Amino acid sequence: MKTVKKLGVGLILTALTMSAVGCANNGGNTATPGSNAANTPASSKEEKVKIVYSMWGSASEGSATQAVADKFNASQDRIEVEVMAIPWENYMTKLNALATGGQLPDTGMLQEGGVIQWSAEGMLNDVSAMYEGSESKPLDSLAYKYEGKTVAYAAANEILLLYYNKDMFDEANVPYPPSALDQAWTWDEFVETAKKLTIDKNGKHPGEEGFDSQSIVQYGASVENLPWQLETWALSNGGGFYSEDGTEVRIGEDASIEAIQKVADLYLKDHVAPLSVGQTDDGIQRTIIAGTVAMATNGQWNIGTSLNTAKEEGLNYGVAVLPYMKDKVTLNTGGANVVFSQTKHPEEAMEWLKWYNSEENNWTLISSGIWMPTLDKWYKDETLTRKWVENPNFPPYDEYKSAVVDYAQSSAARPAAWFYTNYTSDFNTLLGSVLGDVWTGKTTAKDAITKNLDALKAAHAGNK
Amino acid sequence: MEAVNKLRKRRSRIYSSEARVAYICLIPAFVGLIFLTYLPLLGVLGISLTNWTGLKSPEFIGIDNYIKIFTTDPYIKDSIIATIYFAFLSVAGSMIYSLFIALLLNRKIPARGFFRAVFYVPYVLPAVAIYVGWSWLYEGNFGFFNYLLSELGLNKILFIADSSYVIPSLSLISVWLAGNLIVIFLAGLQNVPGVYHEAAEMDGANGWQRFRHITLPCMTPIIFYNLLLSLIANLQVVTPALALTNGGPGNSSRFLTYLMYDQAFVNYRIGYASATTVIIFVILAVFTLVLFKTSNLWIYNEGGDDK
Repeated sequence: MKTVKKLGVGLILTALTMSAVGCANNGGNTATPGSNAANTPASSKEEKVKIVYSMWGSASEGSATQAVADKFNASQDRIEVEVMAIPWENYMTKLNALATGGQLPDTGMLQEGGVIQWSAEGMLNDVSAMYEGSESKPLDSLAYKYEGKTVAYAAANEILLLYYNKDMFDEANVPYPPSALDQAWTWDEFVETAKKLTIDKNGKHPGEEGFDSQSIVQYGASVENLPWQLETWALSNGGGFYSEDGTEVRIGEDASIEAIQKVADLYLKDHVAPLSVGQTDDGIQRTIIAGTVAMATNGQWNIGTSLNTAKEEGLNYGVAVLPYMKDKVTLNTGGANVVFSQTKHPEEAMEWLKWYNSEENNWTLISSGIWMPTLDKWYKDETLTRKWVENPNFPPYDEYKSAVVDYAQSSAARPAAWFYTNYTSDFNTLLGSVLGDVWTGKTTAKDAITKNLDALKAAHAGNK
Repeated sequence: MEAVNKLRKRRSRIYSSEARVAYICLIPAFVGLIFLTYLPLLGVLGISLTNWTGLKSPEFIGIDNYIKIFTTDPYIKDSIIATIYFAFLSVAGSMIYSLFIALLLNRKIPARGFFRAVFYVPYVLPAVAIYVGWSWLYEGNFGFFNYLLSELGLNKILFIADSSYVIPSLSLISVWLAGNLIVIFLAGLQNVPGVYHEAAEMDGANGWQRFRHITLPCMTPIIFYNLLLSLIANLQVVTPALALTNGGPGNSSRFLTYLMYDQAFVNYRIGYASATTVIIFVILAVFTLVLFKTSNLWIYNEGGDDK
């Protein structure tokens, strides 16, 4: 038994050596420390603690972050931060390899789905102490928690909201969706409005005599059905994917199933939504930007990643809060900044993260609309909010303030599942596959989920 | 007698020195094969017996991964079916298509060089660009094909969004991509001796008869080669799932290689993914073996039966 184990390890090592050779051309681009860092006289301060921070991004993004780190390096004389940039596609793979070799950076970004898993495997430090005594803290919903301890804070904030095409609403003479939470539409109001905005070749709406669902030229609404976003509707209908502590799977409950069926019925029964079977993650491009759908749900990041360009090209869009079934719900999320347990300098790593996570240092991402700030002062202090939102990349201030800024700190905002439970990516992959035939109506959400409930529970338990 | 012995000796000396040079020249290739192919292969076999996640050090768990794959894995059965179904359609389709096109391109038609290039181009285009292009054709709501269908007053077909159409739709792309097979078939066709055709023509054989009894038998070794190439490539299919469908809808395009990728690099269950890899390897080996074993039943060998 033992020899076999040794043999196995030997083989793994061989394989790793192989893959290390293979990685040489696509692995990490350490942002050339020579470019900026070497110019600061690091050698004169012999006692400086060196911290390596890993991030996903191209070599040039790495250099940009290194430039920020250089400001930090110059601001004090104890810590020297070096940035390691790894392309997004193989970020987690590379970190896995580094972890196996005991060569993880001291601190770095981690993809949402990986935080609890890494924490459960003892790879992350407790960072509860990071904001002790600070006057502004990250929003409560942005702490990753494992067994009650805070193991990471999100590097950015994101929430789900409703985008809409104002020109389509004006043309149909229908009032815009509400941007204030207390006026949020019920699901039925949402569907009724969507019907008014769905038009077939002959100008007819669903429900009218002679309406042809096969020749729709403009759809009223599209609700993103990527598994993790679907949790919003399960929660909103009084169900959920998991119990609040993440230990139980609740997707088999009637409320959860009914919510998912309602999303599918937008296409199948109400004829207000285009078909989407969750194969690609480009919902806003396919709907609002393509100009074929009047309303679509998705994450805030779309403002910065695609809608700001579309706006320049003439797209007249607005933002609103999501409709609701029973409870008003939106999900918060954001990739994490963690401190790896392999570090010898956790204090210094936290000090750097805290400094780096201040919004001033991520201003390009925030002012372009890709990231939302994490610290609560940006949501509560109106001068700061204005500083953040009043620029041409964003929709009008009042609208965004109400539909995004206030929404994100309201009671409707709940953390996405990967903030508190493990194996969300196993679960979401399986759920996506289970629901494949639900979107096209070949089966119902009830049948699909009931039949696969045990497998879903096993996936949530890590298939143990 | 003496002289013959001498000759033999000299010959064997030449042989052995030639052999030495040959072995020396083969060393780099051997080293490459051993370290980049066979040892990693053994490594995969070893890892498949562990519960390695890439984080904690692996524990030996025997054949647990294999047991799990065949008893509780929610994907494997659909995955094997999807892969074989896809490979069957793609191989059959691309063999017929590329032989047909090669026959046409082998004729003395105007601008032959241009048309040969036209049919080869899909093969050299970047795969992801091709799939994105096809996704616009296939799109279920406003895609080009559905635009045509609705102009004709027909109902929409969901193509890659429908679990019963997704594999045929993806196979069609794969057939369209078979430019390399056309080139190999063309080379083979040019080797079919013209005299056979002339003789048959004189005996009054028509075009089909000449194709059936001359071209086809002479082409069987090439057909075999293309069949093998195409079968292995199509059983390892992964790009359409990565670029277009994410394995969906449902599991209908969750090809084995995609499943393995998902297990290893999305869910980080490296040991489990290695076990899947071994299963893929076995399936490939079985199909290749069957093809080889049955090949002497239908391959025409010009030098006669060399059994």
